[in-house]
Amino acid sequence: MKPLNSAARTALFTALAAVSLTASLPAQTASAGDLDALREQIRQLDQKLRVLERNSELKEEAAVAASKKQPKLTVGDNRIEVVSADGANSLRLRALVQADARFYLDSATTGPGQNPANAQDGFLLRRARLIFEGKFNDNLQYTVVPEFGGTLQILDANVNAVVTPGFQIRVGRFKTPIGLEQLQSDPVAFFNERSIATNLTPNRDVGIQVWGELLDKRLSYAVGVFNGVLENGNSPTTSANTEGDFTTVGRLFATPFVNDKDSALKGLGFGIASGIGNSNGVATNTYKSDGQQDFFAYTSTTSAGRSLTVSPQAYYYTGPLGILAEYVSVTNELTRGTNTRQVTNTAYNLSAGYVLTGEDASYTGVSPRSSFKPSADTWGAFEVVGRVAQLDVDNDVFKGGTPLALSATNASKVTAYGAGLNWYLSKAVRANFDVTQNKFDFQGARPTSGILSDDELVFSTRFQVSF
Amino acid sequence: MKFKRLFALLSAVALAGTALAKDIELLNVSYDPTRELYVDYNAAFAKYWKAKTGDTVSIKQSHGGSGKQARSVIDGLRADVVTLALAGDIDPISEVARLIPADWQKRLPHNASPYTSTIVFLVRKGNPKAIKDWDDLAKPGVAVITPNPKTSGGARWNYLAAWEFAKRKLGGDEQAKGFVAKLLKNVPVLDSGARGATTTFVQRGIGDVLISWENEAYLALKEFGADKFEIVTPSLSILAEPPVAVVEKVAKKKGTLAVATAYLEYLYSAEGQDIAGKHFYRPIDPKAAAKYAGQFAPIQLFTIDEAFGGWSKAQKIHFADGGTFDQIYLKQ
Repeated sequence: MKPLNSAARTALFTALAAVSLTASLPAQTASAGDLDALREQIRQLDQKLRVLERNSELKEEAAVAASKKQPKLTVGDNRIEVVSADGANSLRLRALVQADARFYLDSATTGPGQNPANAQDGFLLRRARLIFEGKFNDNLQYTVVPEFGGTLQILDANVNAVVTPGFQIRVGRFKTPIGLEQLQSDPVAFFNERSIATNLTPNRDVGIQVWGELLDKRLSYAVGVFNGVLENGNSPTTSANTEGDFTTVGRLFATPFVNDKDSALKGLGFGIASGIGNSNGVATNTYKSDGQQDFFAYTSTTSAGRSLTVSPQAYYYTGPLGILAEYVSVTNELTRGTNTRQVTNTAYNLSAGYVLTGEDASYTGVSPRSSFKPSADTWGAFEVVGRVAQLDVDNDVFKGGTPLALSATNASKVTAYGAGLNWYLSKAVRANFDVTQNKFDFQGARPTSGILSDDELVFSTRFQVSF
Repeated sequence: MKFKRLFALLSAVALAGTALAKDIELLNVSYDPTRELYVDYNAAFAKYWKAKTGDTVSIKQSHGGSGKQARSVIDGLRADVVTLALAGDIDPISEVARLIPADWQKRLPHNASPYTSTIVFLVRKGNPKAIKDWDDLAKPGVAVITPNPKTSGGARWNYLAAWEFAKRKLGGDEQAKGFVAKLLKNVPVLDSGARGATTTFVQRGIGDVLISWENEAYLALKEFGADKFEIVTPSLSILAEPPVAVVEKVAKKKGTLAVATAYLEYLYSAEGQDIAGKHFYRPIDPKAAAKYAGQFAPIQLFTIDEAFGGWSKAQKIHFADGGTFDQIYLKQ
């Protein structure tokens, strides 16, 4: 029941008083005693009404308090979430689906028969993930991400204990804190595929990491101990640290002006990451082009000692402009039979994007001001992107009687150029259109057949749902 | 790299991370009428702690019916300290939730009650129903405002004060029960806490008399004017000893044990006692008590131990499910 306001109450009492007077004193003047009785009657009625109002008020308060004790369900365009009444426990469900199409426009052939080597033209489900995130007791966060695109696997599975924002401990399987673009969330990268420089950074590993944000978010750090994986590799989840030694990884990343709202350098971030470890007998991984074709693979080569990765990195975002740059150097001791060598491969990536519709660009993505809705004459956001990257394989890998890799079938250097258009149809839906060219250089002659018989030219598209 | 070196490195980072945390936040879960007291006290303590340690401490307050507040802490509200209306509300936090050591009342002086109070009556100016003592509250036609003893600590003090008055005057527990039943029949609204009951009486204009914490009655007088209300001191009332305790298990987890303990200990300091007196609580420190004695009318007080054998027993007999309150109230 809604409480009456004072005006309504006054009107009601006036009416009641009038009725009482009319009923009890139809034909004579009221005595003082009668008036006192009437006043008392009105006072009692007033009290009854006030009591009714107050009880109604208390009932409403109790209902509100009870509703606050109920778990809250939120369904939005970036998550579905259930949160306990006190906010300390939650389960959030997100998803990522990427449906790609690739068309190879170069003239790579298989040789005498002149069949196209790039037989992969077609559609593919690049990623299909359910992302379960949540927390217990406010400070114990968890993430579980099964991957259904390609090989069915658990991609991420970890627990993060937040002691303070500056001191957090993550345990489980997660991204190794080295590559800047690798650490960026998959759905918000400039291009459909990360640059070829990412070939030289480790992907996901199993271990423990201490990390946090210090100095009012001006500096973030991460120090971790992992089983260790070679570049472009993922640590298996099914076996322990088979090669017997750990890899230590550290990363410092500064955003010194992040809190200066009016500074042109607010979106500047720079840092350095490094990983060092020993391993023996671990198989090396192939390197992939922008079109996801193998352009380099060691031959029967495994690790034989120390691995060192160093990566200086930076980004700069201001208004609709975003620039991301990183350099990666990987030095591995590798062996094939009696040929054991220390080789250093290097790569860089310089990418940039500009949001044509004026929205702010950021490392965590673009949030369109409007969604695609022709009937309302809104079209979402559009961003143009460009990239140049290069990966240079140490020439030593092709040397020796039993070289670590064969120069006749592997590129020794790849320079990649790319341009693209990203269409943000809504916060959750994005369509990408990329054209990339990968120029291959060789130690010897270019192979006459196979995917490396011509520089790679690919048109790829992606339709992505990410929330 | 050897694992020991890695461990040392991680430990160093951990220590560095911890050392940087200079801002401390405490949550004080309290009962209804202490809002104004702790606003002042928190500011004083923060100043004291800053001067002593250099750390900045901010204290969040949560208020409500004492029993309800205790339930919230048991259910997971992460209080660093509780400052409730009665020991009977802190006991379950120790006994049921095991968040507080069993000997919590021995950890601070004066049974962990840094100030006391009692129960008085607030009536409308001129005292139109001529209320002088407890037995006036049970008369027909007198509307009495008191909160629900199931959720409010203050209401339990009210209930027991009325019971003991009747027992002494009428001769036994059965008579007291009859008297309290009559009194409760005169209660038109049962708020969940003392502040709500004050709102009902003072702001909503309901009832002829509010059975109130002494400090709350004086606060109402100060806030809403002596031209509208007056305080009636009954012939007999109960010595209310609102206790305080560190919720040790929570404070340890949050790393606030030292500051939470200091927070409660400072209530016993000269400044803490003076603030209590200013807010119409009765300080336990003789100096502060003497300073503020003049603001309270003389009253004969009894303790819960004397009259009811302690909170545990009183709780069981009167306020537990099926207790005398249920027997009376459910019948009505």
